[in-house]
Amino acid sequence: MQNLIQENIEKLQAAGATYVDARWYPFERSDSLMMLNGNLKNASSSRESGIGVRVLYEGAWGFSASSDMGVMGAIFDKALDNAKAAAQRVSFPVRLAEKEAIQAAFESPCQINPFEVSQSEKVAFLKEMDKKMNQSGVLQRYGGLNFVQKKIFYIDSEGSHIEKLITEVFARIHVSGLDEQRVCHERKFYPQRLGESRGWETIDRAIFSENAERIVRELNEVLAAPECPKENRAVILLPGIMYLQTHETIGHALELDRILGYELAYAGGSFVTLNDFGMLQYGSPKLTARADATMVNSPGSFGYDDDGVAAQDNLLIDKGILVGAITGRQMVEEANATKPIFKGSGGANRATSFYRVPIERMTNINIDPGADGTLDNIISKTEKGIILDGVKSWSIGSNREQFHFAPEIGWLVDGGKVTGVVKNPTYMGDTVKFWNSLSMVGDRSTWQVQFVDSCGKGQPNQLMQLGHGVPVCRFDDVRIGE
Amino acid sequence: MTDQIIQTIRELREYAVDKGCDVTLSYHEEDSYLMRFANSAISLNSNEHLIRLEISVYSDRRRASYEMITDLRHLDEIKFGIDTAVEMVQHAQPLTYEPTIPTYAADFIDESGYDASLAGISNDEKLKYFNQAVAGLETEHLKLSGIFASGTNIVCNINTRSEHVQYFSTTDAQVSIVLAHATLKWEVIAEQSAQKKADLNTATLHRDLSWLIEHYQRDPSQQIPTGTYDIVFGAAAISSLLSVMNWIGFNGGSMKRDSSFIAEDKVGHKVFSEKFTLIDDPTRLETFPFKKDLMGLDRQPFPIFEKGVFKSFIWSQDDADEFGAQPTGHTVSHNSLVLGGSDHDVSTLEALAKMPRKRDVLYIPFLHYLNIVNLSKGVITASSRFGALLLKKDGSIVIPFNVRVTQSLLDIFGDKVDWISKAAVVYNTSSSYGSRNPTALVVPAFMQINDLAISQSNTSY
Repeated sequence: MQNLIQENIEKLQAAGATYVDARWYPFERSDSLMMLNGNLKNASSSRESGIGVRVLYEGAWGFSASSDMGVMGAIFDKALDNAKAAAQRVSFPVRLAEKEAIQAAFESPCQINPFEVSQSEKVAFLKEMDKKMNQSGVLQRYGGLNFVQKKIFYIDSEGSHIEKLITEVFARIHVSGLDEQRVCHERKFYPQRLGESRGWETIDRAIFSENAERIVRELNEVLAAPECPKENRAVILLPGIMYLQTHETIGHALELDRILGYELAYAGGSFVTLNDFGMLQYGSPKLTARADATMVNSPGSFGYDDDGVAAQDNLLIDKGILVGAITGRQMVEEANATKPIFKGSGGANRATSFYRVPIERMTNINIDPGADGTLDNIISKTEKGIILDGVKSWSIGSNREQFHFAPEIGWLVDGGKVTGVVKNPTYMGDTVKFWNSLSMVGDRSTWQVQFVDSCGKGQPNQLMQLGHGVPVCRFDDVRIGE
Repeated sequence: MTDQIIQTIRELREYAVDKGCDVTLSYHEEDSYLMRFANSAISLNSNEHLIRLEISVYSDRRRASYEMITDLRHLDEIKFGIDTAVEMVQHAQPLTYEPTIPTYAADFIDESGYDASLAGISNDEKLKYFNQAVAGLETEHLKLSGIFASGTNIVCNINTRSEHVQYFSTTDAQVSIVLAHATLKWEVIAEQSAQKKADLNTATLHRDLSWLIEHYQRDPSQQIPTGTYDIVFGAAAISSLLSVMNWIGFNGGSMKRDSSFIAEDKVGHKVFSEKFTLIDDPTRLETFPFKKDLMGLDRQPFPIFEKGVFKSFIWSQDDADEFGAQPTGHTVSHNSLVLGGSDHDVSTLEALAKMPRKRDVLYIPFLHYLNIVNLSKGVITASSRFGALLLKKDGSIVIPFNVRVTQSLLDIFGDKVDWISKAAVVYNTSSSYGSRNPTALVVPAFMQINDLAISQSNTSY
C-alpha cells in the first residue's frame, strides 16, 4: 500500500504538483459507553479507514479523501483537480517552511490497550460509579467512557515516511440536581492526567470513587447555597476551570491561522497581530505559557504533526510578553513574509481524521507553575475573593478579546479564609486586561494536566484532542455574578 | 444507484435476520464539497466521498451499535460489523425500559429534496458565484473569506422486522461570504442556503454586502455603553436562539431530565409573546426535512408554540419509551423549525435602517459562541458579530464594537417582542462535524425585542 501511495505521489509531481502528502489510516476505531441514571444508553463502536491526499499546485491547496482504497488513483487525481481550481484565485502563493525529511515512528504510551478490555469490565466500572453517585440530592447521574485508537501512515513528496499509533482514553462522571427554585446545578469530574501513559490503566477506580463522593457532596452544597454576589473580587481559578481559561484566551488566540485571518468565516480571528510578537504585555510577569507537545501522558502529544514535523516544546508567553504562536509550515512562511518572527514550524498542524485537512491546533497549552505556594497559601493571602471550579458555560468573543465563563461552584474567600459556597457563579473580562491582573500563580503542588477531547475548529469542522497543564491562579478585580 | 443501495441493504438485512436478534441498519452516503476562501484566495478546495453504516442490535432490552465507514463493495467487512454488533449486545446491560424496534409497513422513497444540478455544480461555477457576489467589493484592505459547501446526502434505513426500506436523498448548499478589514478587524457577512441550484442568487448577497460595507467605511464607530437597548436580531441570530431550544426548551426528554426551562405543566399555557408561533414543518423542502422518522412514523406539521402558547413537547422514540410518553415523530437527526412572521413589512437591511424609530435600535445580525449559562431559566450568553449597527433615532447610523448579550430566552421571546418581520429567510445551520446532515430553519428576516441588556461592550473591533 505504501508503495502504491508513493507511486501516486510521484505521478502528481510529474503532473505539476509542487508538494503532495497522503495520510493513510489502515484503521481508526473508537468505543463509547454512556450510562445515564443506571441505564446503559449508549454502547457503540466505530471503525473507519481510508486515505486523505493534500496537493499544492501553483501555490494553492487541493484535498480529496475517500474510504474506498480501490480507487486510490482517482483520489489523488481529484486532489490535484481541486488544487488546480483553487489556483485560479491565489493571493499569497502557499509556501511551506523547511523541514527535515523524517523516517520515524511514534506510539503513544499505553500499558493496557482499552480495546482489549472486556465490555463487561467497562460496564462494571460505570455501574460502580453510578451506584456511588446515586445519593440524596442527585437527580441525574452520568458516566462516560470513550476510547480511540488510530494507526496512521504519513508519506510526503519531500521524503518523509512516518508511522503513528495513537491510543486515547477519556473518562468522566457527572451529577446534577435541582435547588429549591427548581434550578439545575451540576458537578463533574474529569480526571487529571497522572503517570506516564495513556491507556486503560489511567482509569483509577479509587480516584474515581473518591471524586464521585466529592462531586455529590459539592453538588449538595451548591443546591443549598446562596446566589453568587454581583461585584468585583479576586478570582482564584482551580485547574478544573483554569484549563478552559487558558484554552480559550491563550490557546485559540495564538493559533497562527486565526491571527492571519484564515478562520474569519467561522471560528473567528484573534486580537493578536504580527506586530505584537516580542512586544505585547499579554499578561503579568507571573505568566509563562508554552505549547508542549512532548508531554508523554496527554492527548496533545502525537510525535509528529500532519505536516511531518516533530513535536516540540515552544514558549508562547515569557514572563508576560508574547513570544510565540501555535504554528504549522504554511502559516509560518506567510507570517515571516510580513515580518520575520518564526524560526520554523512549531509542529502543530493536525487533522482529526483521514478525511479532514490539517490545520493549526493546540498541542498541550500549559502555564508554568509559579512561586506563590499552595492553594492554602493563595487563599490565606486573599482579602476578598472567590475560588472557582468546574465548567458549566463558556462564551468568547470572535477575536478572543473578551469572555464570559460560568463555573459550577464558587467558594467565597474573605479575610484569607473560605467563608462559604455560592451557586451560579460567573465571571467575565477582557482577555489582555484579565491576564495582566494575574497576581498569584500556585506552585507544582497545584499543577494539573487536564484534557480536552472535543475542541472544535475549521471548515469542514474538526474535533481535536489536546491537554492543558495548569496551576491554580489568582486574578484581581474581576467582575463576578453577571 | 438508488436500486443498488436498496438491493445491497436488503442483502445485508437477510444476513442480519439469520443472527436471531432485532437489527436496524442505517446507511449514510455523502458526497461533500467545500471551497473555502480566506485572505481573498481559495484557501482550501476539498471533497470527501464517504459511506457510513450504523448497525444497532436489540436483544432482551439490551442495545448496542456499531458504526463503520466502509464501501458497499466490501460486504464481508460490513457483515463483520453486523457480527460485531451482535456480539456487543450480549455484553450490554439491560435498560430499565423496553426499547421500541422500528417497523416499516411499506417502502418509502423520498427523492424530492434532490437536485441534480446542485449535486453536479462544478468548481468553476462555485468560483464564478463567489466572484459575482463580491464583484467590486474587495480592496487591498477588505479581504474575502467564506465557504461554498455543497453536497449530496443519502440515507437508507431497514430493519429485521420487515423488508421495507426508508430512503431519502437530498442536495444542499451553504454559502457564507465574509468581507473583513485586514487591520481594523471589522467583518460583515452575507449568507445563503440552497436545496436546489436555482436557490442560489448572487444579487442579494452583493446587495447586502455592498450596503454594509458602505456604512462600515463611512459611518462613525464606537464602544457603546452597557445597559438596555431595543434590539433587532437578524436571521442568523434568531436561528441560533431557536436552535438552542431544540435541547433546553421543547424536548420532552430534556424536560424529564430537568434540563429544560419549560416545565411539564406549561403545556397549554402562554410562555412567549403572542407574536411567537413556531412549528416543526417537514413539508418545507428548504429545511432538508425527513417526512418519516427513523421509527417509520409520518411527520406532519407539528405546532410547538401558537401565539405564544406552548402546545407540545417533542418526543423521540427512546425518550418516549423511557418516560412513558407518546412519540411525536421526532426520532430524526434534525427538525424543520419554522418561526412564523408577523405583519411588520421590512425585508432588507436598507429598509430596516430607514424605518422610523422613537429610540435608538441596536441591530445584531449574528450571535457568536452562544452558550447556556442557566438552562433552568433559559439564560444564554453570546457576542454580536458580523455587521452590528446602532440605528440612531435621528436616522443616522453608528457602527458599534461587538457587545455581549446575556439574557433568558423567556425574555427574548416573551412580552418584550415588539415586532416580527413578515419577510422570511431560510437560514442554513449545518455543521460538518460527523456525517453530513444539512439543516436549515425558516425564520423572519428581522425581529425586534425591546429593553434587552448588554452586559459587555468591546473597546475596539
